[in-house]
Amino acid sequence: MQQNHTQLADDSYFAAVTNAIRTETTKLLSEGTVAAVIGYQAGTRAGTVIPTIITDAAKAGDLVFSPGCVNNLALYLTKAKKEVRPAGKVAIIAKGCDMRALAGLLGESQLKREELHIIGVACVGVKGAGAGSGEALTTGTIARKCRECTVRAPEGADVVVGAVPPLPEFSPVEAEELARLEAMTPAERWAFWKGHFSRCIRCMACRQVCPFCYCEQCLCDRNRPQALETTPRPAGNMAWHIVRAMHLAGRCAGCTECERACPMDIPLNLLNRKMARELKTLYDFEAGLVPVEKGPLTEYREEDDQSFIK
Amino acid sequence: MEHDFEPKIVAFVCTWCTYAGADLAGTSRMQYPSNVRVLKFPCTGRIDPVFILRAFQKGTDGVLVSGCHPGDCHYMAGNFHARRRFAAFRQLLEFIGVDLNRLQFSWVSAAEGGKWVEVVTELTERVRAMGPMVEFKELEMEEHWSGKLDSPELKEAYQNI
Amino acid sequence: MTKTITEQKLRSLMDLLLKEGRRVVAPRQAGSIVLYEPIDSGEQLVLGIMPRRSAKETFFPLCETILTYGKDGNGVMVSDVDAGAFPETILVGAPPCDAAAPAVLDAVFSWDYNDEFFLERRKKTIIIGLACTAADDACFCTAVGLSPRDDKGSDLFLTPVAGGGYLCDAVTKKGKVFLDTYASFLAGGEAKPLPSAEPAATPLDLAGIKDWLESNFESPLWQEFADRCAGCGACAFLCPVCHCFDIVDEGTETKGARRKSWDACGFGKFTNHASGHNPRDIQNKRYRNRIMHKFKYYQDKFGQTLCTGCGRCVRSCPVGIDIRAVLEEIQAKP
Repeated sequence: MQQNHTQLADDSYFAAVTNAIRTETTKLLSEGTVAAVIGYQAGTRAGTVIPTIITDAAKAGDLVFSPGCVNNLALYLTKAKKEVRPAGKVAIIAKGCDMRALAGLLGESQLKREELHIIGVACVGVKGAGAGSGEALTTGTIARKCRECTVRAPEGADVVVGAVPPLPEFSPVEAEELARLEAMTPAERWAFWKGHFSRCIRCMACRQVCPFCYCEQCLCDRNRPQALETTPRPAGNMAWHIVRAMHLAGRCAGCTECERACPMDIPLNLLNRKMARELKTLYDFEAGLVPVEKGPLTEYREEDDQSFIK
Repeated sequence: MEHDFEPKIVAFVCTWCTYAGADLAGTSRMQYPSNVRVLKFPCTGRIDPVFILRAFQKGTDGVLVSGCHPGDCHYMAGNFHARRRFAAFRQLLEFIGVDLNRLQFSWVSAAEGGKWVEVVTELTERVRAMGPMVEFKELEMEEHWSGKLDSPELKEAYQNI
Repeated sequence: MTKTITEQKLRSLMDLLLKEGRRVVAPRQAGSIVLYEPIDSGEQLVLGIMPRRSAKETFFPLCETILTYGKDGNGVMVSDVDAGAFPETILVGAPPCDAAAPAVLDAVFSWDYNDEFFLERRKKTIIIGLACTAADDACFCTAVGLSPRDDKGSDLFLTPVAGGGYLCDAVTKKGKVFLDTYASFLAGGEAKPLPSAEPAATPLDLAGIKDWLESNFESPLWQEFADRCAGCGACAFLCPVCHCFDIVDEGTETKGARRKSWDACGFGKFTNHASGHNPRDIQNKRYRNRIMHKFKYYQDKFGQTLCTGCGRCVRSCPVGIDIRAVLEEIQAKP
């Protein structure tokens, strides 16, 4: 099966990005421009990485960039991770998709631009679910989100590292899946989601990795009053995923971390993407690269559509 | 008139307009289906989508959300915000597989007792024709295989929940 | 004498067990992944792929009702769950890391209180283990005292043989009785077992690790290990031996159910007191508890390690935390 897939970038691309990140990190830390750099370092298994926060220029050599750099590091700048977020100005390695999350957090006044130094990566793509840790980045192993990426060359970063080599056209697997769902009858869609949500174990990985799930008190943890069941039964699972999608509507920037982190392979981004599309249609809003003060559900226009209201 | 099925309808209404409108319908001795259970909120802006979800989970067959006409909000813009929120939420529900015919939104002012009657009657009859909302109720009864109960007493106790 | 069973016979045996009214829990396809679930026919049995979740839910459900209650004018009615009603179950196709787990959990579930929900299910279940012939880069059973062909915890143990089929060994009395009952499915004769899987795991000095843990409750290393931890419960929920649970009442004032479901020490609310005080207020303290519980507390209390080396936490961690790397680093400390 693998022989039909072509490798997307040779090692020199990743080596160049890695080097540029290290050089930039050394410069930033030794000049004292930033207090820390949030990046990736090699994990124990071949091809894997772990997020890391570096404060010492001598450790810059630990940083890497590889097709395994799947994490959206913006998570470590949020209130949810306030205990580890270094004080002062911080540099962060961000792919185009991660930068959307940064823009969203800036818009929601969770971050201050002047306290941020964004090292943008011109990104070929990262590996998706099902790709083995040792496998290369190919047309077969690339993540679903990367197949439809529109932000390979990040804009608005303080510095951009790497140059994206020419890439083939990808079939939009996720868009096709979304269209397939939309063409179903409500009963079929209900069966689809019921099947997926019934597998949910409420490990909360989807919430914990989401840069926008920074609430100190999550609605789903509340018990007085209880807004939704906390037990991982099909009923509570369905409610949780509906609430999650609703709370991210107009905010989610599509990094798909929720879907990646889900140990039960629930295609969560289909929900996020559906909501993003509806908000684009309704209010011409798109979670983009530019921070905006108000999202589509925190503002209104008098002439908004109300054809569904009697 | 006797019906085989009497749907449960939950109406989330704002206190300033729709509640007063419903009140007017009552004091004017207008008739409307007693299927509707009215829940009063300060403003449609206070009505969280979770309430709707919860109502379906707990056994309602139809939901009505109703408040002040645009421009009439007691808090200036609560209904404008609600309008966007529910426009989005109904798309989400539909995507999950909920038939949107069970969910109605309306603007009913304090003077529109007649419109209240009309909205409630129409929704009740529509939902009656659709039959009971079984999806969420069935889900509520479902267990993960590992926690399924097989003893008859428990099953019975469960049915009663 | 060695017994063997062909794959087809194994599937037919499952069909017979199902016909006899037994519940057969086995790895089967669930969407894009493989999970332990009750099968409806032997054909559904998926052998040789490690299920995404461990087999612990056979004994310790993801969520179970432990009582139901109702209240009316006459008072309060409470119905307990009759543990005797749990079905007779055959758990088949569990790799050694999953098969060994329930035995490790027996200690805690029958310690100061006999948890009838767990123990009754244990009593009613026969575990048919399956030797591993393939390991991935997250497997590390050999580092924690097990092996890909360890029959610990199994009642019956299958070892794949060259040319298809399995060696079938009775490990316990329960397993022997089972084998005798279904002897017609088995054949005698010699067969050459397939080579065992070889996890590339660095041996762990569990005693040494415990020593370090004894004196390093406060150590800057915890921060280094776990600052990146996102605080989800994927590792604990997928773990064959993590066994923390939460009990909640769901329902209304007049009727409802008391339910027990999995919980995880990685969650911020796990130790949150009603007063608002949280003794494990930051993530690295929570992660420290995970390691302490597995490699020190459980040792202190029950003389066992709370880890079977299945590697699920390593595979599932969204931020790439590798428990082996943490242990190896601890091990390297004086």
